Amino acid sequence: MTLRGWPRSLFGRILLVLALGLALAHALTFVLAFTERSMTMRRAMVSYFASDVASSVAMLERLPATERAQWVDRLARRNYRFALAEPLDAPEDPSQLARLVANAVAATLPADRPVQVIDPHVPGTELRLQLRLADGTPLAVDMDEPRLQISPWVLGALALQLALLVGLCAWAVRAATRPLNTLADAADALGADRPTVPLAENGPREVVRAAAAFNRMQQRIQAHMQERMQILAAVSHDLQTPITRLRLRADLLDDPVLQGKLHADLAEMQSLVEEGIAYARSSQAVREPPQRVDLRALVESIARDYADAGLPVQLLHAVDVTCDTRPQALRRLLCNLVDNALKFAGAAELRLEAGAPGQWRVRVLDHGPGIPPAALSAVLQPYVRLEDSRNRGTGGTGLGLAIANELAQALGGRLVLGPRADGAQGLEARVELPGTPLLQ
Amino acid sequence: MTTPPPDHILIVDDDAGIRELAAEYLQRQGLQVSVAADGRQMREVLATQRIDLLVLDLMLPGTDGIALCRELRSPGAPPLPIIMLTARSDEADRILGLELGADDYLTKPFAARELLARIHAVLRRTRMLPPNLAVGEPARHLAFGDWRLDTTARHLLDATGAVVALSGAEYRLLRVLLDHPQRILTRDQLLQLTQGRDADVFDRSIDLLVSRVRQRLGDGARGSRYIKTVRNEGYVFCADVHAASASQEAAP
Repeated sequence: MTLRGWPRSLFGRILLVLALGLALAHALTFVLAFTERSMTMRRAMVSYFASDVASSVAMLERLPATERAQWVDRLARRNYRFALAEPLDAPEDPSQLARLVANAVAATLPADRPVQVIDPHVPGTELRLQLRLADGTPLAVDMDEPRLQISPWVLGALALQLALLVGLCAWAVRAATRPLNTLADAADALGADRPTVPLAENGPREVVRAAAAFNRMQQRIQAHMQERMQILAAVSHDLQTPITRLRLRADLLDDPVLQGKLHADLAEMQSLVEEGIAYARSSQAVREPPQRVDLRALVESIARDYADAGLPVQLLHAVDVTCDTRPQALRRLLCNLVDNALKFAGAAELRLEAGAPGQWRVRVLDHGPGIPPAALSAVLQPYVRLEDSRNRGTGGTGLGLAIANELAQALGGRLVLGPRADGAQGLEARVELPGTPLLQ
Repeated sequence: MTTPPPDHILIVDDDAGIRELAAEYLQRQGLQVSVAADGRQMREVLATQRIDLLVLDLMLPGTDGIALCRELRSPGAPPLPIIMLTARSDEADRILGLELGADDYLTKPFAARELLARIHAVLRRTRMLPPNLAVGEPARHLAFGDWRLDTTARHLLDATGAVVALSGAEYRLLRVLLDHPQRILTRDQLLQLTQGRDADVFDRSIDLLVSRVRQRLGDGARGSRYIKTVRNEGYVFCADVHAASASQEAAP
């Protein structure tokens, strides 16, 4: 189960947790400070209000009753106003603020004055304070809702602070996760068997250690593969001389039947040796420098070479395209696929087409028995043969497609085997070439 | 009437079995054969006997086949056709690429019939061309017009340096033409000279091959810049050809 919106990358996850935590801590701090400040403000406001009401009452009491009305308006403040109005018949407002205001005002007035705080149910007016002057004249004070203003710049500064913190976190998390990506890239490159490029051993201690360990592993793998190649090369080289002698001895035989049998056996031995060498060396194809190559001319020349040798290989379609690739490796790759088609189907068709945008593909098609879907990936492994349709009797060593697969990787592309796209019986081997230039 | 003396072949290989067996087979086919195990013995035979063709193993103790080939091809040395024996076909490509002067090569293990066929083909080829037609200084690149022929990788490079592949037959035809510029070559000569390693399967007409090479070069039959048809005679390569070193590759 995965959470929706939960980032897939380690970078995203760590950053999300840190950013959420920071935002939460910020919000909490802000709420605490705001509450504390509004409580203080309220206390100060109420005591000021009480003493102002007391002095206003004292002033109004000293004025003649006729002049009071005109003074009442002058006594108004920003958030409360006086009015000479009969008290409304309403219950006491039970709120904390109302009690606070009632008590404070009562304390500043002479002890016998009744003070009542009600909710007048007028929009914009929070409380109405009702009292009477010494001569019994009713006085009402309407208080606006107390508002605590927050300046926009405070919110802006808070947002900026949060953004700065999240930005620094992103930088730190990126610095921590980047070496992982570098390591993954290097491991991928190693798989494709490019000439070894050691990882830079710098940065924090943990990264240096991982890079050094990776470099040592890379060297061991390289040494191992070289050893494998040297063993194959040495065995094959040592076999060349006795096989040559055997062939020459067979040529000197007077018995043509025996001679034919010996030649067939020797040819098989030879092809095993040669394919083994070719497979061991296929990983070296990356050493061939990439060049601009006229793909159409390349595919055409391959088809003509086979046709000149009397083999039924046709180029059915070819676009005019030049791309960056390794011409020798590509030729060997395509020849392997054509040889495979000739071996199992007797004929081959070639098509050079545009693939994904900016990419090119060569398809080698045949009308042979094809390969069962379950075995498609297995036949790309070395020394894997399909027992029913492909046995040693047809000359297969089980390396042709494995070599082709290695070469496709050396070209930065891939080899895909499958049934023919046009639905006909047969195998389609598709070589997909990358559109991006290869690294030298 | 006297029959001409049989061709005298010298086989240089460090493996006694191979050289004795090959010698026996070639002798049965009517050739005169001498053998040598290394460079020293080879020089002794060459100093004392007339040799028509040398079969030289690449891997030899002491001085190896490459060094011996270079020695035999040094200026002033008498012309001697050489067939190199190599262990792998990519080694062979390297030898041809280095243009050490081997006339042909054969990868081990080889069939005796194949060796015999190569010997006959090389002898026929070297005798067909007068000595003054011998290939000049070997070069990795032969430049003509807008093109360069890479003799190692066996493909063309266009003016922008892009690789334009050639089929085996197309390469051999173009190579023969470039090796003999300004000289009319008959269809028969071209057929003989372009018969390379796959002599027995190469049976396309020279005219078709010429038209394909012209197409590759972007050259028409009329007003041709490179390969001109000479009526009733054959073809002539009419552009200037010069060896281009690798350092010149970047030049426009």
